[in-house]
Amino acid sequence: MPMLSRRTMLATPAIALATPAFAQADNRPSITIAVQKVVNTNTLEVLREQSNVGERAFKTSIWEGLIDRDWRGQLQAVPGLATAWRRISDRVVELDLREGVRFHNGDEMTAEDVVFTFGPERMFGGAGTKELPPEIPAIARRIWPSLEKVEAVGRYKVRFINGTPDVTIEGRISRLGSEIISRRGYEQAASWLDWARAPVTTGAYKVAELRPDVSLTLVAHDQYWGGRPPLKQIRFVEVPEVSSRINGLLSGQYQFACDIPPDQIAAVERNRAFEVQGGTILNHRLTCFYKNHPVLADARVRRAMTHSIDRNAIVEALWAGRTVVPKGLQWEYYGDMFLSDWSVPAFDLAEARRLLREANYRGEPIPYRLLNNYYTNQTPTAQVLVEMWRAAGLNVQIEMKENWSQIFDNSSVRGVRDWSNSAPFNDPVSSLVNQHGPAGEQQQVGEWTNAEFNTLSGVLTTSTDHEQRRRTFRRMLEIAEREDPAYTVLHQNATFTAKRRDIAWKAAPAFAMDFRPGNYGA
Amino acid sequence: MARFLAGRLLRAFITLFLVVTFAFVVLRLSGDPAQIIMGADAPHEAVAAFRQAWGLDKSLWEQYLGYVGSIFTGDLGRSMRDGRPAAALVAERIPATLALTIPALFLKLGLGIPAGIYAALHRNSAIDRVVMLVAVAGFTIPSFVLGLLLVLVFAVQLGWLPSGGQESWRHAILPVITLGIGGAAVLARFTRSAMLEVLGQPYIRTASAKGVPWRRVVSGHAAPNAAIPTVTIIGFMFGSLIAGAVVVESVFSWPGVGRLMVVAVANRDLAVVQCVLLLVSFTMVAANFTVDLLYGLIDPRLRTGAQGGH
Repeated sequence: MPMLSRRTMLATPAIALATPAFAQADNRPSITIAVQKVVNTNTLEVLREQSNVGERAFKTSIWEGLIDRDWRGQLQAVPGLATAWRRISDRVVELDLREGVRFHNGDEMTAEDVVFTFGPERMFGGAGTKELPPEIPAIARRIWPSLEKVEAVGRYKVRFINGTPDVTIEGRISRLGSEIISRRGYEQAASWLDWARAPVTTGAYKVAELRPDVSLTLVAHDQYWGGRPPLKQIRFVEVPEVSSRINGLLSGQYQFACDIPPDQIAAVERNRAFEVQGGTILNHRLTCFYKNHPVLADARVRRAMTHSIDRNAIVEALWAGRTVVPKGLQWEYYGDMFLSDWSVPAFDLAEARRLLREANYRGEPIPYRLLNNYYTNQTPTAQVLVEMWRAAGLNVQIEMKENWSQIFDNSSVRGVRDWSNSAPFNDPVSSLVNQHGPAGEQQQVGEWTNAEFNTLSGVLTTSTDHEQRRRTFRRMLEIAEREDPAYTVLHQNATFTAKRRDIAWKAAPAFAMDFRPGNYGA
Repeated sequence: MARFLAGRLLRAFITLFLVVTFAFVVLRLSGDPAQIIMGADAPHEAVAAFRQAWGLDKSLWEQYLGYVGSIFTGDLGRSMRDGRPAAALVAERIPATLALTIPALFLKLGLGIPAGIYAALHRNSAIDRVVMLVAVAGFTIPSFVLGLLLVLVFAVQLGWLPSGGQESWRHAILPVITLGIGGAAVLARFTRSAMLEVLGQPYIRTASAKGVPWRRVVSGHAAPNAAIPTVTIIGFMFGSLIAGAVVVESVFSWPGVGRLMVVAVANRDLAVVQCVLLLVSFTMVAANFTVDLLYGLIDPRLRTGAQGGH
């Protein structure tokens, strides 16, 4: 019988304690993702951070809604934290909640959490333990302009009750800003800011650390309802320079590098160990018109501008053909509201010149306020556009600006500017009405308005007659893109992510990066 | 001496006041922080609410007086992006920046001064020409080009060092070298010029003629007299310890004061920008003040006000 020394005896309990831990060692990989920007507002609260970069960092990883999207397909609505939903009336939608969903703090999600998520204390402002930043209720009201209340019909059943008839309730439930939070998690946070920097939600990963403007570290939420997350840790690091992101990827420091410009794709893929994924997303690039400009007040000049643009040339030259010219301000995921026979104005220089002659345009300068590559390829696109307009006889002059405040500045006359529009949910209300309607950005900044368009915005928002909605949508596109152009669509936007080729992962047709079970290492 | 100090302090105070005022006016007139921080797609009501909450709807004068008043009470304001105290945000970035700039300063001094002296002592030799060639190259290559070049060689091709970030001491090597080489080149050129000028002076010839060993002529007569222009440059380098790494921090994703300032300026996050500017101005002013004092120590003529003649 071997002799046991006193030292061995003392060490035995420690070894015994360590053994199970060793047996359960977490062998899952950790990854680092280089991004240009982690979040814009230094918070992770979806009601504050309504940005594309925010969507990438936290959608599917941290935040989940009742109705989700098929991130690996074409973004169709799929069950999320709700397993089923049905229309009770044109104002009411009822949802069955998924049972057994655990928040990051271990609590089970129930109807009480859903009701609280959409309640005044967290969304719209009202008596509560925390002082909401003033912009939160305004953003919440844009997402839910007519929501009366959400009520629990049982422990796992809720009803969304709208103040007016609305066929887009399901869409609004699926959009960014309608994700579910833990009531206890919210109430226990010391302040709104503490909450916003580490929200307690249901996602596959939970916040370990947010270092403003530096990094966001997420760790696996092992009680995730969709299965054990495939990654132990995800770290988003802010690397503002493209070349630094690519170099970091090639040197093995990062496993993913986001926001790769189209002209760098070939350079990355020259190394066979790496590939670039991604493509078109739910976002279109536009040129917006300022209708009150003395020259642009004549719709024929704006129409001439829409006909002067060879959009396919831009897509081929600046995007290496890796995006498309869409059918106006709409996306196929609108489903039966998508107008497949619609198109952007044709490239027709003769027509553009004819319209300018009719409008008696004499070469008066039209200012083009431009940000320096706020959007991918923005500055080269602007230079191409100016030359295309010049070919039609238009005198458009670029004025470089530093920020959006200077773009909208009223102290001198405006002309054209750039913009991009997304579709937060699968209905034209989410883009055409929300961005260009009476309460939309373009009309709010005094760029454009049209009485008939505004009346139709109300119809599209409240009508429940499908055929009438399709007719209304078509007429609105006719007004905003052809008759009295508010904007013209240039191309669909695209985002590209470089990664190691041996990592099995599929990019979503969106900014969101899906690292849930089934999409990483599968 | 007291009058000298009081004069310098008054000048420093006026400098700080002008910097704060200039930055306030330029930043506020060139963009609305509410619109910039909330983004182009933010609801009009949200932007208006934000503006009201941060007092941006008041007149520029009211905002300015309020800001200056709060500085005098020690309140440097809060970041409009996330509500955190600006001073705390800046303070937490200072160690990261100093972790680059202090080693880089030693690198500049350790490489630049000996190289400059050596080149001057071997004027027109092959070594002098090589040193000056390297110095001109180091001086003229922009830091972002040099940084990317170093990353390409040492991170991407050789895989010896990380390309960016701040996780370990190894992450600091390339940014420190990038910062150090440019500064060392500047110092080498200035030191060489100053030494050459001094070495041509009659008192150097006199010392040599008296039989003083050459080593002592250089260390006891030439180097101290050549120190004044070099100390001026070193003073500038001290002054830029806080804000001298803006480009390098961006290239190497190093989360220091420089990157904080870039983000804060882009967002017109006034309190944070002002806080950084105050710190940078204070460092510059303090460095210049110290250099002025050092002049007096190095050159007795400046201390006593006496004018020397040659």
